[in-house]
Amino acid sequence: MIGPHELMKEHKWGLQIRALSLIRAVTFFAVTFFVICCCMPSAEQAAEPTKPPAYNHDIRPILAEKCFRCHGADSAAREADLRLDQRKSAVVSRAVVPGKPDGSELLRRVTSTDPDKRMPPADTQLTLNDREKELLKSWIADGAEYQEHWSFVRPLKTPLPQIERAEWPHNAIDHFVGARLQEEGLAPSGEASRRALVRRLSLDITGLPPRLEEVAAFVADGSDEAYKKVVDRLLKSSRYGEHMARYWLDAARYADSNGYQYDTERTMWPWRDWVIRAFNNNMPFDQFTIEQLAGDLLPNATNQQRLATGFNRNHPITIEGGVIDEEYRTEYVIDRITTTSTVWMGLAMGCARCHDHKFDPLTRVDFYSFFAFFNNVPERGNSGFAPKQKAPTFEQEQELADIATQLAAIDKTLEAIADQVAEQQAQWEATASKRVRQQWQILSPTEMASSGGSTLTLLDDQSVLASGAKPSNDDYELTFALSNPKITAIRLEAITHESLPHKGAGRAFNSNFVLSEFEAAVVENGASDKPVPIKLASVSADYSQKNYEVARSIDSNLGTGWAVDGPTRKENATAVYLLAVPLALPAESILKVTMRHRFGSTHSIGRFRISVTDDPSFNLPADVAQALAVAEAKRTNEQLSALREYFIGHIAEGEVGRAGRRRAELQGRRSQIESSFPETLVMAEMAKPRETFMLIRGQYDKKGEKVTAATPTFLPSPPGGEKIDRLALARWLVSRDHPLTARVYVNRLWQQLFGIGIVRTVEDLGTQGEWPTHQEMLDWLAVDFMESGWDVKHIVKTIVMSSTYRQSSIVTPQLLKRDPENRLLARGARSRLPAEMVRDNALAVSDLLVEKVGGPSVYPYQPPGLWLEINNRPNYSKAYPTGKGDDLYRRSLYTFWKRTVPHPAMAAFDSADREICTVRRSRTNTPLQALVMLNDPQFVEAAKHLAERMIVEGGDGLANQIGRGMEIVLSRPPTGAELEELSAYYRIEHGLFREDSTAAERLLSVGESARNQDLDLTDHAAMTSVARLLLNLNEAITRQ
Amino acid sequence: MHPQTELLQTATRRHFLQQSSAGIGGLALAGLLGDSTSAATKPVDPLAPKQPHFPAKAKQVIYLHLTGSPPHLDLFDYKPELVKHNDKDCPNEYLEGQRFAFTSGVPKLMGTPRKFEQHGDGGVWLSDAVPHFHKVADDLCVIRSMTTDQFNHAPAELLVYTGSPRSGRPSLGTWVTYGLGTENENLPGFVVLISSGVQPNGGKNSFGSGFLPSVYQGVQCRSKGDPVLYASDPQGMNRTMRRLSLDALRDLNQLQADELGHPETLTRIAQYELAFRMQMSVPEVMNMNDEPKHIIDNYGAKPGESSFANNCLLARRLVENGVRYVQLFDWGWDFHGTGAGTGLMSGLTNKCATMDKPIAALINDLKQRGMYEETLIVIGGEFGRTPFREGRTAKSKVLGRDHYPDCYSMVLAGGPVQGGTMYGESDELGFRVARDKVHVHDLQATILHTLGFDHERLTFRFQGRDYRLTDVHGEVVNGVLA
Repeated sequence: MIGPHELMKEHKWGLQIRALSLIRAVTFFAVTFFVICCCMPSAEQAAEPTKPPAYNHDIRPILAEKCFRCHGADSAAREADLRLDQRKSAVVSRAVVPGKPDGSELLRRVTSTDPDKRMPPADTQLTLNDREKELLKSWIADGAEYQEHWSFVRPLKTPLPQIERAEWPHNAIDHFVGARLQEEGLAPSGEASRRALVRRLSLDITGLPPRLEEVAAFVADGSDEAYKKVVDRLLKSSRYGEHMARYWLDAARYADSNGYQYDTERTMWPWRDWVIRAFNNNMPFDQFTIEQLAGDLLPNATNQQRLATGFNRNHPITIEGGVIDEEYRTEYVIDRITTTSTVWMGLAMGCARCHDHKFDPLTRVDFYSFFAFFNNVPERGNSGFAPKQKAPTFEQEQELADIATQLAAIDKTLEAIADQVAEQQAQWEATASKRVRQQWQILSPTEMASSGGSTLTLLDDQSVLASGAKPSNDDYELTFALSNPKITAIRLEAITHESLPHKGAGRAFNSNFVLSEFEAAVVENGASDKPVPIKLASVSADYSQKNYEVARSIDSNLGTGWAVDGPTRKENATAVYLLAVPLALPAESILKVTMRHRFGSTHSIGRFRISVTDDPSFNLPADVAQALAVAEAKRTNEQLSALREYFIGHIAEGEVGRAGRRRAELQGRRSQIESSFPETLVMAEMAKPRETFMLIRGQYDKKGEKVTAATPTFLPSPPGGEKIDRLALARWLVSRDHPLTARVYVNRLWQQLFGIGIVRTVEDLGTQGEWPTHQEMLDWLAVDFMESGWDVKHIVKTIVMSSTYRQSSIVTPQLLKRDPENRLLARGARSRLPAEMVRDNALAVSDLLVEKVGGPSVYPYQPPGLWLEINNRPNYSKAYPTGKGDDLYRRSLYTFWKRTVPHPAMAAFDSADREICTVRRSRTNTPLQALVMLNDPQFVEAAKHLAERMIVEGGDGLANQIGRGMEIVLSRPPTGAELEELSAYYRIEHGLFREDSTAAERLLSVGESARNQDLDLTDHAAMTSVARLLLNLNEAITRQ
Repeated sequence: MHPQTELLQTATRRHFLQQSSAGIGGLALAGLLGDSTSAATKPVDPLAPKQPHFPAKAKQVIYLHLTGSPPHLDLFDYKPELVKHNDKDCPNEYLEGQRFAFTSGVPKLMGTPRKFEQHGDGGVWLSDAVPHFHKVADDLCVIRSMTTDQFNHAPAELLVYTGSPRSGRPSLGTWVTYGLGTENENLPGFVVLISSGVQPNGGKNSFGSGFLPSVYQGVQCRSKGDPVLYASDPQGMNRTMRRLSLDALRDLNQLQADELGHPETLTRIAQYELAFRMQMSVPEVMNMNDEPKHIIDNYGAKPGESSFANNCLLARRLVENGVRYVQLFDWGWDFHGTGAGTGLMSGLTNKCATMDKPIAALINDLKQRGMYEETLIVIGGEFGRTPFREGRTAKSKVLGRDHYPDCYSMVLAGGPVQGGTMYGESDELGFRVARDKVHVHDLQATILHTLGFDHERLTFRFQGRDYRLTDVHGEVVNGVLA
């Protein structure tokens, strides 16, 4: 085999490659490693203020940073009894003398050269620079006007600024952006190419790249509506809901495991599916908010509304032995406050846990009053999984609705032929009831024993009465001589007696009993003396207590059993045990029955009788048999209904039979679905709310003053007269008067679409957050959002329809220097795809992606052994159960999220850790990402199938095939230089794989899916190398 | 601190300017702003080596965490009075208002069943469970007055590593890497090695980056499987092909960068080159087969396996190659006495045999290589263990102790440390600190101090607040330093 360098020399592009290497050597020193894309100074830095200093924009940041720590809202930290955050206080103390900088103590102190007098004090490490001092001086000279913080004031739509480029604006956004650009002396960039636009829209709205035909259609569509049509199509795709949900899951700290060190599994995916569906149905954001925060408190709350409240149960939950319950419960409540305040209000409320907020007007009382809203969940700290709720998934709910419709139709049919039904049923009942009444043969025991020493007495009706000793647990052993040795079923009657407590059937003080196990055995005449156990196939009873169903008396578990609500129900109860195989024994064989009572406190049956039957056709459920045994006139409504149901479902013939059989089938399916509802964690409210106290230094066991639920006092109050609970809180958050919610969510949507928010600190719109780059625009959009009825799709559409959004992202060195982070928006946005999209993109372009919405989380490939290597707790941990088939190729938001061991490929691309609420991920560029893209089997397998597409769809000739690959991956054809580079690379790889077909085989066997055997092995392997390269292109994982 | 990296995530202009005036990272700042032609377009390396606040006593840290917390009263802190009062009821004054993880009622005091003697010129008290420490006693500084706020594993460990008992904050190694960068650009700056099969109690949060950029998080290197995840080429691809594909990829990315002018494409090219080199250098450093047999034997290491001894040897290899912070976690130190393995006699003897020998070997090995002077070694758990028998196992033959936060011991070694000394003291029965209390935050401040940092100035702006490892606490314990 020839070495690679020799191959390079032969290759006609070798010269160019060497030339490029030289350029590379130069850039190599200029470019350093691990660089993060957004590491430049921010845009405003370049823009010097031209207006007189305004409090909010210029002064407050200085005071907040340098002074408020000791002279701010926090009363506990206040020095010299001086507040600078309120004008009145600052002026009264003469720290600030409006119009007279020289007379203001504030300015004297910050400019003092005496270290004892200078503020801030030396030990704070804080200093003011000359510019800041200058700003303070000029602000005081101008009269020292204070302003409320911008985001705490109700947003208003200001008139749209008119701009010189009258043709540029497409909507309001462009007026604001254009005006700012004009102010800065910049011009917007031209519109991006059609290919770039359709790719950008697809990635932004659905999280997936466009298909080839979608690109072609948009390029070919010359109509005015072309762009809008693409936007509308994408917004209708169910991929949209998945994509939007992915961001919401970060904010909601969603995971499939409980966190802390044991990190066991939990079922929260039904909640995740609720979110996807809500976005796809474009549920108004106010409703979305109310249902997630307080769906359980809505009048007549539906299952889905309760399910939605899982939002605030997504926090980690510990199961560590020895923890203090209240400590952890307190943590869960605080997690809800932090999450809720960040997600809806963009406020870091957590700070106020221990002290008044140093910068925002948020006090400790506010914090604990907010705490009170979330403090009433009937939950525990240790293993605090309750409250839970079984709720149908959306699919189940749909199927149930479908079944209900079908059943209604069948009932209508049956109604129409009611006479026919009644006639048939009467005939059946006549014979069946006769048989049932005759069939039981009552047995009389020959021996009776009580393990607990109770006295067992045989009564005249051949029933057995227990009395005497009252053992906690008692096993009865009874022996019967069988005269008719054929048995198909055994009947146990528990019978009331006046000697028993409250004249019931049980011996417990409350007249209940719990039959832990019922066992039967036979000693066959002629065989050994050893009893042979009889296998009991099933059991039915005419009455069972909830959670003590009669089946629990044959579940081989002494910890469970059959009970009959003795405290409230003093009646006979009958259980019928069916044999798995009918018995036919020689005469004079012996039956032994053992009744085990292990519940404790004498929960034994007080009086009982045993019967057997040999009816070969005996197969009636106990309730039906019971009903048949009762005289027709005396049957209860339940019994009548049981008979009718059974008859229609199992006995009836002809039209009735057909309808009845279908009906029974549907009912069976219904109960099957109902018993398989996933159970998820939900919020609930205690009937009697917990008392809430301020916690000193935030510690769970240091209680201070008592508080009641209330919203923070510096924000508008909720309407009076309403009950102040979680529901009121949720409604307050989405009220038209709330200054924050709409701004916060619109800002996050902007971040989603432009990479950086209008306020970069999307998690903090408070006074310590960044100032918005376009405040009027943010306010306009926030108001528009509310006016549209909190229509999320409307806002997404408004943003993507703007000329601002449609700009090309190509950047000149001048503009890059002027505005490296694109805060002024003189060009289109550009950023590396988030973790999930990197993988989804590879699956999509290789046609591996399985587009199924929702369902339990799945387990795509990950390095073997990782789960147990990192989290190995015997009896709690398990190995990663790598999935098969479709599960390997689902969208990444469905990948099982284990908090202690998140998927390493996702983690490499900065996925959030899901321990706490995250509304902004970091975006790094690291060598570990290169390793994932190059070597993760998921990506290698994707390359294998992308190569197949390239060969099969590309048609004849290498250029066509490579061109096809570029079109699929980048939505554009290759340039000449790219085509030459890739062709040359293909030929080299082809040469290498031709020499080593084993290597080709091995490469193409990566991943579970088989390769297309019709393709030549060498061609396929070489093209896989090319495809792998395409997937690794920076452009392939960039939205631009 | 380091404005260029600060800006990665959350910096505001105010913070940027404030930090520049603080002087730290000023050089990098000049690089960023000074050159007017390239300032805006030139990416900055957040892991470039950086100077700390003042001259450092240590260049690197090896932190050996004994997960679960060893019984310090049977290893490091000899309490003859407790032995004298063995099996007496624990005095009520130590129980009132206290809560223990697995003990209620009145437990029995328990003197150590181990033999203690003084060792080395410094006369450091050590028990017979750690015989290899006897020989290096003069290198050890035993702090007998440690105290923490937490008595359950996970929160206590998070407090040790992130300064907060709750998850979400950056870890110690992350802070160090954020402050110092890395010396070897072919290796991660902060490496984590885990033995005995279980990750730390605090989970990955114990070495996570919290709200700092994820480039600073601990990278777990493994002695089984890929030493770094995804470091192996796909099957059927070899090193030659890897080089070829990277060359072609670089050319293609370069074409794009030239056309569109986005500097991060150049960064992407650089990352692929670095990945290529890491694929070489990490397996090399993690492969101990080139170590002489006597070195391997000194540690008690076994190449190809996963053990604490292996990890000690790997830690040396890593710091030798420029890694600034190596964090070991060894599971199995939760000596409740619920089984012989967690009992104070044979259980402790056996577990210590896997620990004291490799640590002693590490100390000697670093000395021989002239690296001891600039390495700080920290040894200990997340809290201590009670001076009384644990409640659940009070009737068992196996002796065990419950979790105890109020007073415990840690061991320091390495050049910056005053060896052969004992710092601080517990009271007669070992319940409370008698003098020179060292809180977890103080230890953190001290570790940062040896690396040249003022712990109050190593901060990161997040959610409107400057966060630091020591929260609002911490004082440097000068008494333990040479």
